Amino acid sequence: MCDGLYAAGSRDVVYVPDNPLSHVLGVLEDTYRDVTTTIATREEEAFGIAAGLYLGGRRPTVMLQSSGLGNSLNALGSLLLPYQIPVLVIVSMRGDAGEWNAAQVPLGRAVAPICDALGLPVAVAETPETTAATVQLVGQTAFGTRIPGVCQLPRRVTMPPKPAA
Amino acid sequence: MTSLEAIGHVVHAAGDAPIVASLGHPAYDLFGAGDRPANFYTWGSMGLASSIGLGLALAQPGLRVHVLDGDGSLLMNLGSLATIGWKRPANFVLIVLDNERYATTGGQDTATAHGADLEAAARAMGFTSCVTVRSADALAESLAQTTKASAPALSERRESKGPWMIVVKVQESAPTAKPPLDCVFIKQRFMAAIGCAEPATAGERP
Repeated sequence: MCDGLYAAGSRDVVYVPDNPLSHVLGVLEDTYRDVTTTIATREEEAFGIAAGLYLGGRRPTVMLQSSGLGNSLNALGSLLLPYQIPVLVIVSMRGDAGEWNAAQVPLGRAVAPICDALGLPVAVAETPETTAATVQLVGQTAFGTRIPGVCQLPRRVTMPPKPAA
Repeated sequence: MTSLEAIGHVVHAAGDAPIVASLGHPAYDLFGAGDRPANFYTWGSMGLASSIGLGLALAQPGLRVHVLDGDGSLLMNLGSLATIGWKRPANFVLIVLDNERYATTGGQDTATAHGADLEAAARAMGFTSCVTVRSADALAESLAQTTKASAPALSERRESKGPWMIVVKVQESAPTAKPPLDCVFIKQRFMAAIGCAEPATAGERP
């Protein structure tokens, strides 16, 4: 994932923490020292910060959990989309196959329909091996078309089940 | 002091530096006080003006970034103060036009009419310089501090550095004009004015 966003030209990650992605900031700090990270208090705020980074000539990435997409809708609908401010959006999925918490299921199910209703293109990182390429393509498409692009990371990729003994 | 008069002082102090305005009356009064390419008018995303300003201040540390927020708007995104206090950009000036009302939507009270203290909140979250002003002279003086501190020749003296919070207690000024509605025009004009002109899309191929 870090390889993919870096290859798409992103050097700024704005992030609301999520357990499956908890090691990502460490990887960025260790391996990509020219990537700056900002932890926001809320996903909508993260999109505001990302918009400001773009106005300042950067190519921002926002990472969030699927439930946080619900906190982001007005920022997407009334700032990023009408102003054509592109952001690479990486959504760590909850509520899909492998979920244990019922409170995560409704928003998880709603991610794709919400993106469709807003007109946000969505791609799914199907396997760990293809994640970097998918993230890179979503980012390049977003920055090339000035439409925020969403890459979903399913739970089966971020938290694969342990093989049966 | 009216909101329009207060913003006139901000425009004067900003020079060519960027000003990001929250939607509604702050944006309308910024347009009324002086339309200029380095004004970024928001037409939605209530609450996010300070976040947009933070991102811009982080991306362009050489620019002094001004944000015109409303009391109601800032109350919607108070977490932003904590993030700004953490990142502590020295080039960030948050000006809150506090009329203690949701003026754009009919004048309902905000919490600042009942004791909420935005200056104290910013101080508690790590802003380095926080003040509440009620007169044009006091506002001009506070804005002059931010300008002095940004001048390179003075940077080694013990001038205060941002992030600054200036809460301006204002009366409503019933805006009569509105900024351009074309969001992409606002963005591209703004980016060009601050030296970050948006390049033509190049159809990048992987």
